[in-house]
Amino acid sequence: MTISADRMSGAFFCLFGLAMYFLVIPVYVETAEGGSLSPKTLPNIISIIIAISGGFLVIKPTAQQMRDPRKMAITGLYAALLAAGIYAMSWFGFEYVAPVLALAIMWMIGERRPLWLVSGVVIMPAAIWFAVTQLLGRGLP
Amino acid sequence: MVDLSIILAGFSDAFSLYNLLFVLFGVVLGQFVGAVPGIGPIMAMAIAIPFTFGLDPLPAIAFLVGVNKGGLVGGAVPAVLMNTPGTPDAAATALDGYPLAKQGKPLKATKMALFSSVTGDTFSDIVLITVSAPLAILALKMGPIEIVALMIFAFSILAGLIGNSLTKGIIAAALGMLAASIGTDPENFTPRLIFGYWDLFNGLPLPSVAIGLLAISEILHRLSVAHGSVGAAIIIKDTGNPDDRRVTWVEYWSCRYTMLRGAVIGTVLGALPGIGSTAAAFMSYAMTKAGSKNPQSFGKGNLHGIAAAESANSAVVGANLIPLLTLGIPGSVGAALIISAFMIHGMQPGPLLFETQGRLVYGLFGAMLMANFINLWVGQLGLRFWIKVVSAPESIIFSSALLLCFVGVSMATSGLFGVSIMLIFAVLGYVMASFGYSLVIFIIAFFLGPRFEKSIAQSLSLTNGDLTQVLKSPVAAALLILSVISVIWFLRKNVREEDA
Repeated sequence: MTISADRMSGAFFCLFGLAMYFLVIPVYVETAEGGSLSPKTLPNIISIIIAISGGFLVIKPTAQQMRDPRKMAITGLYAALLAAGIYAMSWFGFEYVAPVLALAIMWMIGERRPLWLVSGVVIMPAAIWFAVTQLLGRGLP
Repeated sequence: MVDLSIILAGFSDAFSLYNLLFVLFGVVLGQFVGAVPGIGPIMAMAIAIPFTFGLDPLPAIAFLVGVNKGGLVGGAVPAVLMNTPGTPDAAATALDGYPLAKQGKPLKATKMALFSSVTGDTFSDIVLITVSAPLAILALKMGPIEIVALMIFAFSILAGLIGNSLTKGIIAAALGMLAASIGTDPENFTPRLIFGYWDLFNGLPLPSVAIGLLAISEILHRLSVAHGSVGAAIIIKDTGNPDDRRVTWVEYWSCRYTMLRGAVIGTVLGALPGIGSTAAAFMSYAMTKAGSKNPQSFGKGNLHGIAAAESANSAVVGANLIPLLTLGIPGSVGAALIISAFMIHGMQPGPLLFETQGRLVYGLFGAMLMANFINLWVGQLGLRFWIKVVSAPESIIFSSALLLCFVGVSMATSGLFGVSIMLIFAVLGYVMASFGYSLVIFIIAFFLGPRFEKSIAQSLSLTNGDLTQVLKSPVAAALLILSVISVIWFLRKNVREEDA
């Protein structure tokens, strides 16, 4: 039997729901006195629903096909790049990081035409800087 | 009933130059991004919401409505020229639009799409304006018990209609509710699931979740598809005949019944939560083809095909606001984003909105009508330009969109914490979409979660914890029975489809 996309995700959500119910909610939701609805009630019910539905999906999966794993890995690369960009912005600010981030993204896509690169790396960040700081009077990240 | 003076004041607000400028800006932006394959009006609305913070509610919401309406017109441009719809709604438009473009008549096809889109949209706006206030009066008679039952019914319909599996729909809705439960609980105000991050005390920031799920996750997907290749510019054929560049009055008038049918289908389906404009466009197309004396001409460049698809998908936009404004339940992602704009400006959509913010609601209606005229005008002037937009490379579109999302969310959430949350939800959205879970249901459940919990708490207080009291409300009992019936019906439908 091959492991279908639904069985994988179903098993994950079954475990996730159980982990939320038994491990996470008891620790990270405070108990409150009084009131008609405890802070834990709804998250607990939701966790049980997720666990049961996940289990049901393992038993009765659909013919769901997963996206190409190679493309998912590439997406992971882009997400990591964005995470690095956010981290760098916290140190150096948008003005310095945005052009580098734009260049990295355009380069990874395969853009090599100088005119488009200049537009994306210089003109767009400058336009955003102008619109946000000068026109709207707000700060950049 | 809303006072006539409030209605007139609302319309006069909408027709002020200041508001009209924002509608115009929204329509231009919407048509522009709609013409870019891969961006679309929903992503544009998500990106634009944080930038509307500093505006008054009416221009902010009217601007977003303009983006949505303009996007539907713009979405037809790549559908016609490249057979690549800029929005899923425009997929049916491509069936006859693309053959017309191949015959050297791209402007004729895009203009027919524009005219029928504006016709369908105006029809549904008039229905919205006519029926929403009476429906809101009915909705006001509902208490918390009925609201809980109504939300359960809405979720059962949404989970069944969207996506290919009821179980996955339920999981997506539950995840959205779980995300909504992060922050303080609405009754005891104790922190819940914040994991030591006090920035989460007021819950997950709405712009971070919406933009992460709807915009960034889609951009991440498109980036992986575009990776390593730069799209070549398209070549647009033109016959040189002036008649092939315009739609004559005779051609438009010959499609009047097609457009009327499309507008009715779009309005009816749009008023029901969960059925998107794509379904309306294909249903209208199929019915027009079935009723045609010349069905074999469909798919080969028949103007009726374009009129059927565009009038139906555009009619959904106005009708989508009927459940939003009367019940506070968004029926689509576009409506969910408009709800977030209302909430950002401190308002809770629902029947009370007509009482507390009647002037704003009628201002919005006026802005919607004006947006249709502006859509027509901008489309007439801009179609030639939008045709060039479709050839812009994805590299610059996506890098710019990402930077705009970073800046927008940072402004809306006062810092990079919100941007980090946005990225987390982008990855979550990408993974969910990869495994076939509906982001639409997630986001609607996220928006409705706090209200749902509050209504449950109020219901329990009213009934002293005795849930059997719920059955004493005929409306609540009927809605709960309908929920059970719809779940059983969708489960049986899923089983039948699997067996087939």
